[in-house]
Amino acid sequence: MASSAFERGRRRSPATSIAIYLGVLVFAIWILLPVWYLVVSSLITPSQLGVKPFPLVPSSMTLDNYAAVLFGNTGGKGIGSTDMGTRLVPAVGQSLLVSSVLVVLNLFIAGAAAYGLSRYPFRGARAFELSVIATRIVPAIAIIGPFFVAFRVIGVLNTPWALVISYNVFTLPLAIMILKNYFDQLPREIEEAAKIDGATRLQTLWIIIVPIARPGLVAAGVLIFLEAWSEFFYALVLTNQLTVPPLLAGFQSVQQFNWNALAAATVMSMLPPTVLVLIFQRHVVGALTAGVGK
Amino acid sequence: MIILIVLLALPTLLTIVYSLHDVPASGSSFGPFVGIENFTIIFSSPVFWRSAQVTLTFSVGFVILSTVIGLAMAMLLNQRFIGRGLARALLIIPWATPWLVIGILWKWFADGSVGGLNAVLMMLGLTNDYHPFLSDPNTALPITVIAAVWRQASFAGILLLAGLQTLPEELNEAAQLDGANWWQRFSNITLPWLRPVLITVTVFNVIYAFLQFDVVFAMTQGGPGDTTQVLSVLIYRQLFVNTNIGLGSALAVILGVVALIGGLTIVRLFYRREMH
Repeated sequence: MASSAFERGRRRSPATSIAIYLGVLVFAIWILLPVWYLVVSSLITPSQLGVKPFPLVPSSMTLDNYAAVLFGNTGGKGIGSTDMGTRLVPAVGQSLLVSSVLVVLNLFIAGAAAYGLSRYPFRGARAFELSVIATRIVPAIAIIGPFFVAFRVIGVLNTPWALVISYNVFTLPLAIMILKNYFDQLPREIEEAAKIDGATRLQTLWIIIVPIARPGLVAAGVLIFLEAWSEFFYALVLTNQLTVPPLLAGFQSVQQFNWNALAAATVMSMLPPTVLVLIFQRHVVGALTAGVGK
Repeated sequence: MIILIVLLALPTLLTIVYSLHDVPASGSSFGPFVGIENFTIIFSSPVFWRSAQVTLTFSVGFVILSTVIGLAMAMLLNQRFIGRGLARALLIIPWATPWLVIGILWKWFADGSVGGLNAVLMMLGLTNDYHPFLSDPNTALPITVIAAVWRQASFAGILLLAGLQTLPEELNEAAQLDGANWWQRFSNITLPWLRPVLITVTVFNVIYAFLQFDVVFAMTQGGPGDTTQVLSVLIYRQLFVNTNIGLGSALAVILGVVALIGGLTIVRLFYRREMH
């Protein structure tokens, strides 16, 4: 490995090296420029925002915008009656609640389903897998009407439970696919040994499989969390700005709002998913690509 | 399995039932059965065809750019250079960002009075004054496409990079010894190796293209006029702004069928070619 890397480095011409570093520069600008603009906007005052051209490196910075959206001090700066500051923290709480409940619930259900699919293949298992893919193709908008009506009837409209129930439509198939791929790769010998030792199926699953499947469970959990945290459409239709995305959308449509405060709220909404994925990067990418080669 | 049937098949079926009825605004009953009337209304409406055209334009641009830029980024990040780990971490950011937030982020990046895009163009001396990209009918759709591509190219890049990392180095080295140039190695070794990943990435791209709602809703809500009104935004307006549930459901059925056909066609096309 090391020697081939060395040879490769030696073989590369200066022109190629320059081209690569230029490419990396363009790549970094493409990713970072919009994010940088958002972060800078969240750290300056409204009057600084009006400067043309926009200062890429601001002369002075403040954390006031963050304080405003966290502690409800957005005050009379033109947000109208919707004071973002009193609503962001509760919305973050609801987003965390919905995402976490869904992760725990889905890992149990999808874990059992995926284990069954992996170990006891039945006639029509392939059809089931295809139907799982098909669920990703059915537009959310195509099934929202009946959900809306049903939730109004049973009275969960505008509660976190409306989201916990409806999000299963896209998180459950994803979790089953990932976990099935993962279980397929695990050796069966250990389970058979456990069976000989007299463990029941459930005991085997809980004592043997869950510990060795932890990387797969973590990856599925992160992806479920990511999807639930990001979901906007169901939350928009089924609740009144309960979670973070519809709150941000609502804040944005208020006339004469405070863009600096929205920028601060937007930065904060990006942090949990980004940090989570960066920490578990290897697991998550591995899980995403595991089924791809087949 | 049962959970999926209840959560997915039932509402899908109900939507199809709705699409055949003239549902009252309250939505508590089906209302009178009208057969395919909702569909005849839709297919004879210029608003629908205009929206279908916008969706197609958006989708073609989105799928091609996301796949090509994603592939380019994956090739680049597979090279050896200083700071590669950091660059790969950067790739994660757009993918981990919620679609709606990407819409908000780009709406303000492209804003006509304070936007960073204008600031950069001005600093580079490309323009003298700020341009309102999102209220100009000529630039609104391209900017929404770029915003959505910003996210999806990273997703494609992550998957394709993982695919590239499994490519045995000996293959390329042997080809190089045989005198194959960069393009020959790319088209004869890299692309065939990546085909399964490319299929997956393209299918995802097509699905996200046809069903895209968040980014367009956050950036333009379909405007100016109807220049960015993709089908999902049109359906949203029918269902929840005009509360025309019958007509909206019929539109949703059409979009669902088109997305399904699109996704399955791509899978079959690629698999058939693979058999040869």
